[in-house]
Amino acid sequence: MDMFLNAHFIGSLLQSTLRVTTPLLLVALGELYGERAGMINIGLDGIMTLGATVGFIVGYITVNPLLGLVIGAVAGSLINLIYAYSTITLRSGQIINGMALNILAPALSIFMFRQYFGVTTKLIQGTVIKPICVPVLSDIPIAGPVLFNQNPITYLAFVLAILTAIFFNKTKPGLDYRAVGEFPRAAETLGINVIRKKYIACMICGALAGLGGAYLNTCYIGTYAEGVVAGRGFIALSAVIFGGWRVRGLILATLLFGFTDAVQLRFQTILPVIPYQILAMLPYLSTIAALFIMRNSGLAPKANGVPYSREGH
Amino acid sequence: MGIRFKNTILKVSISAISILAAILIGAIIIASVGENVFVAYGFLLRGAFGNARAIGETIVKATPLIFTALAAVFAYRCGMFNLGAEGQFIMGAIAASWISATLLPFGGWLNTLLSMIIGALAGGVWGAIPGLLKAYRGLNEMIVSILLNYVATLFMAFLYSGPLMEKNIPQTVAIFDDVKLTRLIEGSRVHTGIFVAIGVMIVASYFLFKTAKGYQLRVVGLNPTAANVNGLAVKKMMVSAFVVSGMIAGLGGAVELLGSSYRLMAGFGLGFGFDGVAIALIGQLHPIGAGLVAYLFAVLRTGANTMQIATGITTSVVDIVQAVIIIFAVAATAIIALPGVKAIVNRKWKGAEQ
Repeated sequence: MDMFLNAHFIGSLLQSTLRVTTPLLLVALGELYGERAGMINIGLDGIMTLGATVGFIVGYITVNPLLGLVIGAVAGSLINLIYAYSTITLRSGQIINGMALNILAPALSIFMFRQYFGVTTKLIQGTVIKPICVPVLSDIPIAGPVLFNQNPITYLAFVLAILTAIFFNKTKPGLDYRAVGEFPRAAETLGINVIRKKYIACMICGALAGLGGAYLNTCYIGTYAEGVVAGRGFIALSAVIFGGWRVRGLILATLLFGFTDAVQLRFQTILPVIPYQILAMLPYLSTIAALFIMRNSGLAPKANGVPYSREGH
Repeated sequence: MGIRFKNTILKVSISAISILAAILIGAIIIASVGENVFVAYGFLLRGAFGNARAIGETIVKATPLIFTALAAVFAYRCGMFNLGAEGQFIMGAIAASWISATLLPFGGWLNTLLSMIIGALAGGVWGAIPGLLKAYRGLNEMIVSILLNYVATLFMAFLYSGPLMEKNIPQTVAIFDDVKLTRLIEGSRVHTGIFVAIGVMIVASYFLFKTAKGYQLRVVGLNPTAANVNGLAVKKMMVSAFVVSGMIAGLGGAVELLGSSYRLMAGFGLGFGFDGVAIALIGQLHPIGAGLVAYLFAVLRTGANTMQIATGITTSVVDIVQAVIIIFAVAATAIIALPGVKAIVNRKWKGAEQ
């Protein structure tokens, strides 16, 4: 009996690890697509907030959370075009523009939410996408709930990660794409349209950040709250560094951060003696600790964050 | 005309045009939800300037923003982004609240003074963490300082709903009446904290532009490699700049606590750090410019509350306007730096002189 309880505990802990890892992985993949083309975007957190809000509102109106996810991703992609235009075409600082998104996107989100629902303290419940529960298989101890009772978006995130790894390492377009972040001038002489690649990178990055945000309100929790993103964009950004700009590293990093979050959430219920605020610090502190232990900045794409101009100014 | 003077005019006009353009965008948003722009902005102005109370309230709102903006300016001038002013602000307020209300056995001006000093120190310690990790371990100071914001906020929540809780209400006990910063105008909340803010602004301005150390700090900010070659202790300089930046933010938190909120509660300090960075950028990274833009942001904030009550337009319109100002200011600065445009601007200046 005790054994079963433990297995049950571990199984559900790992299951929730994957659940909280999902948005981190999606957003970190988005940032990877950005930084592989030399675009550092610290505005991920803001974009997630917009994705979360748009996703929720669309899901609520249409009673179709899947549509909410899609529109959330589109919104993220569109707002990131501001960052793209300002940094790529006007060649202004990436950090400053990321900061601007972190202020603009949440402001837009609150505006839209209040415009639709009014200024309310009432908790509004939306529809959520239910996990896919594979019969029989999901009853296997530990592995069952972890592998066969997950949200479809969780499966999507991991499939996307694998496809991304194949794209960057095994395909010609993937290698071209990486060249943009490493040696843009050389890439240009090889006939790669660097500017266009960078724009595409920003759109992918925005879409995945928006999707990760929308996941929070259409899959993870069904109610809307301001501040739901709670720094996940910055944790995802850290995961890219911690993961050494490699997909495998990214998966491990986000799983580690997800696990920390799942553990602290579990502890909040089983160890009420520890104030929950102290436990809630764990994901942030462990992220700093992880960055402290792994100094990976040498693995960054060489032209990361550097403005590009064809003429060489 | 000197080159410096021209640059100043250029920078001021960039900020001014960005602000006006963003206010126009705000007007478009207000009109698009079917409200009368003139009525809305009329209430906004009345809310910020309508009477002595409104004017005072604007200054109350400007005070913390001046501190966090100066914190951002100081770190930026040494080439670093302090995105953690919010956490440093909160840690400063926590220290001040704890010292003032719980620890010191006496009240009065000495209590006030000590609380401010300890608040600044606490902010400095919190700022030292990203500074040290950046200088000696190569960690990204932006990410570390941002993550520490969340830790500080949670720590504050732990205190006001735990060890420092006032009976059953999730807030700390208020500081003593004779410790509170003196109010300046009858019927208004404006307090002497604004003088502290202006004082820090003047000192920071003097330090950065009139002293040898300030010059060195800016050299590190402009070109750390060259500074290193020239024998400047770059790493030490980076850490000290981050510590001072944190101290300014921490002092701001202490002043906010002693002059305005009197206690810690949910939402204290929320958003002040990012706003400070935005203000610093629009203020062209000059302490005086930052001070002026902080006041403008406070005008928008205070006015927006009145606008929301009178017309139902949410205050988030003003948040959007603020964000758009940054985007415009950044874009405008970048456009002027583009080679083609730069040539035109230079020619225009020459033409004007002839």
